[in-house]
Amino acid sequence: MHIPDGFLDAKTAVAAGALAVAGLGVALRRVRRVLPARRVPLIGLAAAVVFAAQLLNFPVAGGTSGHLIGAVVAAVLLGASASVVVMSAVLILQCFLFADGGLTALGANLFNMALVAPLVGYGVYRLVRRVAGSGLRGTLLAAGFAAWCSTVAAAIACAGELAVSGTVAWRVALPAMAGAHMVLGLGEALVTALIVAAVARSRPELLHEPALADGWRRSAGVAAYGFLVALGMVVFVAPVASRAPDVLQRVAAELGLTPRAPALAAPFAAYGVPGVRAGAAATALAGAIGVVVAFAVAWTAARVLTRRDRASGAHDA
Amino acid sequence: MNAVEVRGLSYRYADGTAALRAVTLDVAEGERVGLVGPNGAGKSTLLLHLNGLLPERPADEPAVRVLGLPVAEPHLREIRASVGLLFQDPDDQLFCPTVWEDVAFGPQQLGMRGAALEARVARALDQVGLAGFAERLPQHLSRGEKRRACLAGLLACEARVLALDEPTSDLDPRGRRELKALLRALPVAQLIATHDLELVVETCARVIVLDRGAVVAEGPPAEVLADEARMLELGLEKPHILRHRHPH
Amino acid sequence: MPDRLLSPYHHGETVVHRLPAGAKTAAATALVVTIVVLPRGAWAAYGACAAALLLVAALARVPLRSLGRRILLLEPFVVGVAALSLLQAGGVRVFAAMLAKSTLCLCAMLLLSGTTRFSDLLRVLWRLRVPALLVTSLALMYRYLALLVDEAVRMTRARRSRTFAAGRGIAWGGAATVAAQLFVRSSERAERVYAAMCARGWRT
Repeated sequence: MHIPDGFLDAKTAVAAGALAVAGLGVALRRVRRVLPARRVPLIGLAAAVVFAAQLLNFPVAGGTSGHLIGAVVAAVLLGASASVVVMSAVLILQCFLFADGGLTALGANLFNMALVAPLVGYGVYRLVRRVAGSGLRGTLLAAGFAAWCSTVAAAIACAGELAVSGTVAWRVALPAMAGAHMVLGLGEALVTALIVAAVARSRPELLHEPALADGWRRSAGVAAYGFLVALGMVVFVAPVASRAPDVLQRVAAELGLTPRAPALAAPFAAYGVPGVRAGAAATALAGAIGVVVAFAVAWTAARVLTRRDRASGAHDA
Repeated sequence: MNAVEVRGLSYRYADGTAALRAVTLDVAEGERVGLVGPNGAGKSTLLLHLNGLLPERPADEPAVRVLGLPVAEPHLREIRASVGLLFQDPDDQLFCPTVWEDVAFGPQQLGMRGAALEARVARALDQVGLAGFAERLPQHLSRGEKRRACLAGLLACEARVLALDEPTSDLDPRGRRELKALLRALPVAQLIATHDLELVVETCARVIVLDRGAVVAEGPPAEVLADEARMLELGLEKPHILRHRHPH
Repeated sequence: MPDRLLSPYHHGETVVHRLPAGAKTAAATALVVTIVVLPRGAWAAYGACAAALLLVAALARVPLRSLGRRILLLEPFVVGVAALSLLQAGGVRVFAAMLAKSTLCLCAMLLLSGTTRFSDLLRVLWRLRVPALLVTSLALMYRYLALLVDEAVRMTRARRSRTFAAGRGIAWGGAATVAAQLFVRSSERAERVYAAMCARGWRT
């Protein structure tokens, strides 16, 4: 999902960059405060693990294979803020060292994969866990489903950024990105559940448990993250998904950032209200089906993985 | 004043097993002492007490004194600069992106900058025979080179006591020879925890034998390690170098 | 994974290598921003940028074949996303322009990482007042990347030599276990690295 250079226009790149810097700043501050000194090197090492894990092959069909993103794995094992820092480190390294993800798109990539993915994932994880219980089965169900949600959320944000930049029309971007990632997300869900299960089996104490104290600070953190993610979604997704005015476009014009060439306004006009309205119902339905399927997959995985535990001492392959 | 003084040091792991039981030993300045014993005897645990990494909560009366100072606050900073601990796995100790940065790490923590820092790092690399390795990446070094880079990092802090955990393990014969020569050339006090009994015979003036956390023997290597029966009892063995006595 | 793929830096003593990292980063950034801001049809400008990049590559004696190989690795996504733009009016022009821009920016960044040591790049970030926790994490990540990838390769190989049944389920389970083991071992290594850092006087 790494966006290369040249796919986003100036206003989108700048806006995403601002959101990314703000979110990363919040995360760094929280990690510094909460993480005990002896766990600080773990951030860097975990980033290396995520990078290495992203290289592992998960064979799909006919020689192709899928790869892990790892945002929710990191969040389940390290907590929300630490996972933001870890994913940011991975993306920064990939950008500067391997040109994987554009330099001007780094802000957007960070927003999508280092903010939206881990934070949405962690939020869903905590919610589901509260409902399904904190036992291993509940944890795996929560982690798997959260991984699917995080992947799809990141893909939606990505589609929004591409559409708001005028690079790809929303009517194409959303089904392509979100649609593809609703399927890919199932793989992420499965792999996440498998990894969390494997860690829980060998070293259960490594799963992150949120600090019980902290009171208002934790609420402040949740509020800050929630605000940033929501703001980003509003800015990148709302204008193209609805008839809401493009706030970003107006702000950019005020700030003197060159607005898009008028020639590109035409395609948008063509995909105007009728297109959106007809597509909205279909989109909602597709989304609902996706959620149900993902939840079912995560639930099944959780059952299978914990049933093997109950049938004592079963070896994995 | 001894370089290292340990008096009645005891330590228990979190699960209650005794790791060290009333250990008492001395290392004089400039002396090389070997520390041997079967696996699990407590050698590494003992070394971690020399610079205050253990115990996790400092005792009121520290059992360890280094260069006359008790190993506890407020002396920890000075002690950590004076005691160079060589970890068993050089990949744990070489944590910086380049060799230069790793060797410079210690002096930087001590506040050195600029030309003085450069000179210190260059001299340390020279001492271990790694001049020209400054810009190399640790992952590209051989095992022996990694060990020497770790040593350079300790020498750059001008350590006056070296605590070495299995310095020759995993080394090929040449690496081992080079390290042995290096240890003999360094004039500082050294406590060498090792399975390499030949190394102890060749470099150390004294050897201390640890078994299940307690000191069970102490003395010149040629005597202590030559007692074959005792050695086998302890899960060690008489080193080959003592089997065939040559008039060296 | 071959080490060459993990280390994009090509050692050299050319004039480009000797330029300070900050200057190179600034130049690369400026070039990338310029290319991105160029209007869609400015093919002459694209050509000029391409020429400039080729010149730098030649001066830095970066082997063009490895540069090309890295670009090819990254192109599929570029082409894939760019292809989405084909599905709209005037798409072909947009597609071609995006392809050109992205590829040029790719080259610029690859030349930067090919001629600048990562630790120097980190120092640039440090001087730009990037928070210490992030810079330290980037440094540790870079340092242990090769080690972890090696471990992953070894573990995967060990698993494969003990697995007699083929099958995706087993492959997925195996890969997931490798990932989990990497994390567990790294957790333990992190504690030892912390001890090593403290042993040499590190204070948070």
